[in-house]
Amino acid sequence: MSEWGTYTLSDLVMFSPRVYFRLVERYNQQFWPLQLVWIAGAILILAPAATGLPRARVAAFPLLAAAWLFCAWQFFWERYTAIHWGMSYAAGAFLLQAALLALSPAPARHTDGPASRLRHRGGIGLMLFGLLAYPCLAWPAGRSLASAEIFAMMPDPTATTTLGTVLAVATSGKRSWLLLPIPLLWCAFSGLTLLALEAPGVWASLAVIVATLVLLLADRR
Amino acid sequence: MAITRRTAVQGLGIGAFLPLAPRLALGQPAGILMRPIPASGELLPVVGLGTWITFNVGDDPGLRDECAAVIAAFFDGGGRMIDSSPMYSSSQPTIGYGLRKLGHPKRLFSAEKVWISHPEQGGPQIEASRAYWGVDKFDLVQVHNLVSWEKHLPALIEMKAAGRLRYVGITTSEGRRHRETESIMASQPIDFVQLTYNILDREPEQRILPLAREKGIAVIVNRPFRQGDLVRQFEDGPLPDWRAETGARNWAQFLLKFIISHPAVTCAIPATTRVDHVRENLEAASGTLPDEQMRRRMIDYVEAL
Repeated sequence: MSEWGTYTLSDLVMFSPRVYFRLVERYNQQFWPLQLVWIAGAILILAPAATGLPRARVAAFPLLAAAWLFCAWQFFWERYTAIHWGMSYAAGAFLLQAALLALSPAPARHTDGPASRLRHRGGIGLMLFGLLAYPCLAWPAGRSLASAEIFAMMPDPTATTTLGTVLAVATSGKRSWLLLPIPLLWCAFSGLTLLALEAPGVWASLAVIVATLVLLLADRR
Repeated sequence: MAITRRTAVQGLGIGAFLPLAPRLALGQPAGILMRPIPASGELLPVVGLGTWITFNVGDDPGLRDECAAVIAAFFDGGGRMIDSSPMYSSSQPTIGYGLRKLGHPKRLFSAEKVWISHPEQGGPQIEASRAYWGVDKFDLVQVHNLVSWEKHLPALIEMKAAGRLRYVGITTSEGRRHRETESIMASQPIDFVQLTYNILDREPEQRILPLAREKGIAVIVNRPFRQGDLVRQFEDGPLPDWRAETGARNWAQFLLKFIISHPAVTCAIPATTRVDHVRENLEAASGTLPDEQMRRRMIDYVEAL
């Protein structure tokens, strides 16, 4: 339809940063202290999975699937759609990612070449960034910790942790590639949204995309 | 030539301000400047209330109450027109919340839009919007951004004929599709056109605003401050020494008075989340307005900054 070509990104960002982060604050308050359970559970499962513990590797993708499902349902469908009608489509994309993760076989052991080691270590770095650093980004952005973005609760740290985990635990097979597009697209959309809102933190989403692509390219050489 | 209400109002000059026109039926406070809708002669205050972004607050009780306070201040100050769209997410239920809280003020002039690609879904969308507002019918329904206007406009005209709405219009913003807007204004029986016009975005002065006067179409101006950017851009600079001659106390009023002083403009719809700003905007709709010479001086001053 020709009309849609006349819209810019700022036309589709129909709320203010104040409204968005108040929504996040209220959401966090409603579920507290579930955030701690998600972070602790993720560290207990994903960190050993990345270091090669077989049982943890089996549990890694189901845990991520549960996180995407929770985010799709509680954040997008129940809350974000109230201030952005387009987020019902994002909820669908997050559900699809949850299904892809749930249906993915447990990752095999990592190969041990130098490029693979770089991808493995970089993946762990991204995973920890998503789990531990993302919640703290509220501070430099001038927001209270009540609006912290936390794994499984919010899309950005969930996407970042997933990208890190896939890079750290999955071998360089084609199947793991299926798990990357939705988190990467979400990071791009999130970065552009923050840019349109003139809100701080754009660099985080874009840095995650760049890091993921660099690690993937390094592993292919 | 038959004399209709539209031509009679045109004959009087639609730019004529009617600050002392009869307003007792609506309990309109004195002093606010009004302009007639050419199609009917009905008077509208020259400043209305937009809701893009500002009223999209979801179900946040604190923010909903803030918006309700803005609506209350708007009516207290003599405002009438509130404008929204299905595109604005929760703005419509927020308006409905505010109106319910105020007991549905009689003075409301409700301006809505239809914004959907599939023409057959236009009616249900308008009905859903009406339910959000909690009004019996809308005063004005506009085709938002000309989306599927070829199909929506005949349906709106039919609804008007059936008494299910009072006026029909089209909208655009940020200078988009002005040629098509002109063509619709020239060929379709619309009552309102909505577009972006401000002291820096003056392209509508060339063709659309004169055409609106010629055809007797009311003009609603959106984004009068470019979503606040114009005020932010100028507020660090000094207002001119002669600002009192414009009737403005500050930059927002300076910018708003420039818009509403154009004789083709019926109503500007600044959006805000703040009660002090809504009062300030309505204050700009009273007292002195710049004449043509002063408007030129305002443009020269702003462009030199």
